[in-house]
Amino acid sequence: MSDQEKKLNVSIKGNIRDLLAFKNLVSDRKKRIDNASNKPINFYPIIGLAQKLHPKKQYLLVSDIIDETKSTKTFRLIPDPNSDNRNLAYFRAGQYLSLKVQVNGVSITRPYSISSSPSESLEGFYEITIRKQEHGFLTNFIWSNWKIGTKIESSGPEGNFYYESLRDSEHLVGIAGGSGISPFRSIAKEIVNGNINAKLTLLYGSSNEEDIIFYNEFKNLENKYPDKVKAVFILSCEEITLEGCEKGLITAALIEKYASIDNSSFFICGPQEMYNFVEKEIQKFNLAPKRIRREVFGEVKNIINYPGFPQDLAEKSFKIKVHIGDLIKEIPGLATESILVAMERANLAPPSKCRSGECGFCRSFLFSGKIYLDPNKDLRRSADKQLNYIHPCSSYPISDLEIEVPRRL
Amino acid sequence: MSLQNFNEVVDVVVIGAGNGGLTAATQLALSGKKVILFEQHNLPGGFATSFVRGRFEFEASLHELCDYGPPTNKGGIRKLFEYDLGIDVEFIEISEAFRLIITNPNEKLDVIVPFGEDTFINFLEREVPGSEKSVRNYVKLGKEIISAIKYITESEGNPDKKKLVKEYKNFLKVTPYTLDQVNNALKIPKKAQDIINAYWCYIGIPTNRINFTFYAAMHYYFLIRKAYFPKYRSHGFTSALESKIRENGGKIQYNTKVEKILVENRKIVGVETSKGDKIQTNHVISNVSPTLVYNNLIYPKNEVPEIAYKFVNARRHAIGCFVVYLGLNASAEELGITNYSYHIYESTNTEEIYESFKTLNPPKAQASICLNNIIPDCSPNGTCMLTITAFFLNDAWKNVKANDYFNVKSRIAENLIDTFEKATGTSIRKYIEEIEIATPQTLSRYTGTYYGSAYGYETDPWDSFMPRLMAMADEKYIEGLEICGGFSANCQSYTNALLSGQIAAFLTIQDLDKKEESENK
Repeated sequence: MSDQEKKLNVSIKGNIRDLLAFKNLVSDRKKRIDNASNKPINFYPIIGLAQKLHPKKQYLLVSDIIDETKSTKTFRLIPDPNSDNRNLAYFRAGQYLSLKVQVNGVSITRPYSISSSPSESLEGFYEITIRKQEHGFLTNFIWSNWKIGTKIESSGPEGNFYYESLRDSEHLVGIAGGSGISPFRSIAKEIVNGNINAKLTLLYGSSNEEDIIFYNEFKNLENKYPDKVKAVFILSCEEITLEGCEKGLITAALIEKYASIDNSSFFICGPQEMYNFVEKEIQKFNLAPKRIRREVFGEVKNIINYPGFPQDLAEKSFKIKVHIGDLIKEIPGLATESILVAMERANLAPPSKCRSGECGFCRSFLFSGKIYLDPNKDLRRSADKQLNYIHPCSSYPISDLEIEVPRRL
Repeated sequence: MSLQNFNEVVDVVVIGAGNGGLTAATQLALSGKKVILFEQHNLPGGFATSFVRGRFEFEASLHELCDYGPPTNKGGIRKLFEYDLGIDVEFIEISEAFRLIITNPNEKLDVIVPFGEDTFINFLEREVPGSEKSVRNYVKLGKEIISAIKYITESEGNPDKKKLVKEYKNFLKVTPYTLDQVNNALKIPKKAQDIINAYWCYIGIPTNRINFTFYAAMHYYFLIRKAYFPKYRSHGFTSALESKIRENGGKIQYNTKVEKILVENRKIVGVETSKGDKIQTNHVISNVSPTLVYNNLIYPKNEVPEIAYKFVNARRHAIGCFVVYLGLNASAEELGITNYSYHIYESTNTEEIYESFKTLNPPKAQASICLNNIIPDCSPNGTCMLTITAFFLNDAWKNVKANDYFNVKSRIAENLIDTFEKATGTSIRKYIEEIEIATPQTLSRYTGTYYGSAYGYETDPWDSFMPRLMAMADEKYIEGLEICGGFSANCQSYTNALLSGQIAAFLTIQDLDKKEESENK
């Protein structure tokens, strides 16, 4: 120590008392501990609310099935009375549930937007609205198997497709196709309940009148709350008999006709084909990214059409060595099918929620091998990209692979 | 899926992949021990993580690392990462400490506080003429404290008492006291104390309760080594640690909650998890707080001694954080956000502000950072990220119902944005492209921390790191159990939590090696 430092002599309550205070630190501490309560804790206020809002699992039961159109049903879900699940998690209008379904002994998940309102979850139910896909292996299964009383395991509410007053304009333009109307039904209900302070203009595309979901409901809302909800039904068919419809597709001209381009927030939800079309139309407005929000739509179809996909490998199948928990198993995986799907087929029950690369719940480590993913939708963390962590739901094998996957919750 | 279950014997089970759990497991794996790390979430890091929203990757919790240091003056964390654990992660130097803004018109202050011993002393002398001598003594004390801590660490907890009294007498004398008590004794002018105190929100208790030694050590490290930030957010080093564990034969299992620490005659014999894993082990390093270990994990319950409940009930759970993450669609420059770190307080009365943490009224304190001002390319061109952090004592939230929760979040976020705009003369509200809001509930959701606490137990002088360390051996109630992370004897902060994991690993390795030796005899 230098001379200058040696000179410092601090005294708080006097030299002796200070040193004594140091000497007594441990015995004083002991006294405090001895004098404390010896009771276990039985109160978890913060964790309690966190678990209520974000349960890891919800055990639900189908309580009602409503036919909306020839190909669309709404399933009403309530807490399974035979489970510990008493209440449903509250949510933000626009969020989804990841449902776990056992199909022929294989466990898979699917994200479904909640079509009922948050207030209705407090009354004890959620609704999800599903359109049957012509060759959809899951929707076919649901149609023939889900009955009143069917038990379904769900995640908590998930996703970022919701209105946020600090970010979004009070003029909300919803662009939807097919069952993509679900989150807008929830949002519309929340608007008329007074819980969201915005006006919704919904532009909803269908191929014909029979396919329109929630026509009457939106018409009623529009009549009752003309300053809060407006719905325009856009039909690509020739013949139109219903009121409030437009013929054609959701083009830029049509959007301009109903929405104020300069001060609206655009929320888009629908099947992949609709995005492909609407995205091009919306680009014409040259909007700032903050003005457009898109719901993720699950796995992409036709991955071979995406930029940079190695066409020569499109027909190939690869070996994927999967480490999951204490199990190591080699499974086959097609280049055109996500690693998640390959694992589900092999009944490894991997974790998944959004199935779109966004939520990162399936984050896994790639020991070796090459994957393809859509370069425009690589939503991984930067460090993960560098260290070879991948999201199997949006990654496709283009060589033999070895990966370590977390077990499901 | 019974085939996926683990049913085996290991040297050590680590519970929780927060900062401490990760360094513990990495050190154990590197030392050739058989280790399995269970984490209930699906990511490494605990609070030390990042998340992606649209075009932005937000840092979840880190503002700056203390004791990292430049290559020419390596601090404890740089040495830990580079030498001991061998991870290669890029860190960025933060060149100025923070901008301190006091908004109360009677105390109005707006200064940019620098790093560097002399720079800091001279800066304060300019701001508060006549403060130089006393502030120099404050800095000197900081220096003596870190030398003393270094000596105690090197002596492996058995320092020569005579040497301590002879060479580190001031360290001994200030350690029982608070920041206010010592700074008053040093006769530091009030305004200079107010500036010195500005880090108090990182400790989370008012300056009349903050332990001087704990504070001055942290502050001194900042002065001599500046602050650092991992280029790819906290996830950059936590995922590097994760990979290191795997590379060295350690196992990590996510989505797996340890449900029972099996204990027989006060000794650990195994661990059971939510996934049905049954592990035989005599050693557990817990990144989970003692509060939850003794109340929920030790099995059977009658193995928890009465004193363990007293031990946790005597402590106070520290504040939780409320964070508004903003992705803005204009650059920091365009918006006039010129600094990296802002400490904005309504007043210099830390007691009064601490009291306000107990309510959901508009927050009176915020620590905000704009990452683009140290890492320009951390978000796309023409955008920037601003993170505003406020603080709450858990009780503030106890009456919030699920259906009020989102509204309460938005309202407080709006208050914080307003305060930031007014204090800095900027306008950010209409540039919000992405917004995410984290509450104490969010912290609990992702890490399981009891009461949403982000800072472990409060560090009053009686429960600061020196008394914790000195009493550590006596406060071991279960054989084979070590605690790491923010609730450990090392106290909270990234730096302390990271170091605590390695310490817990070394203590465990010592035990394992001793046992092996006695078995070989």
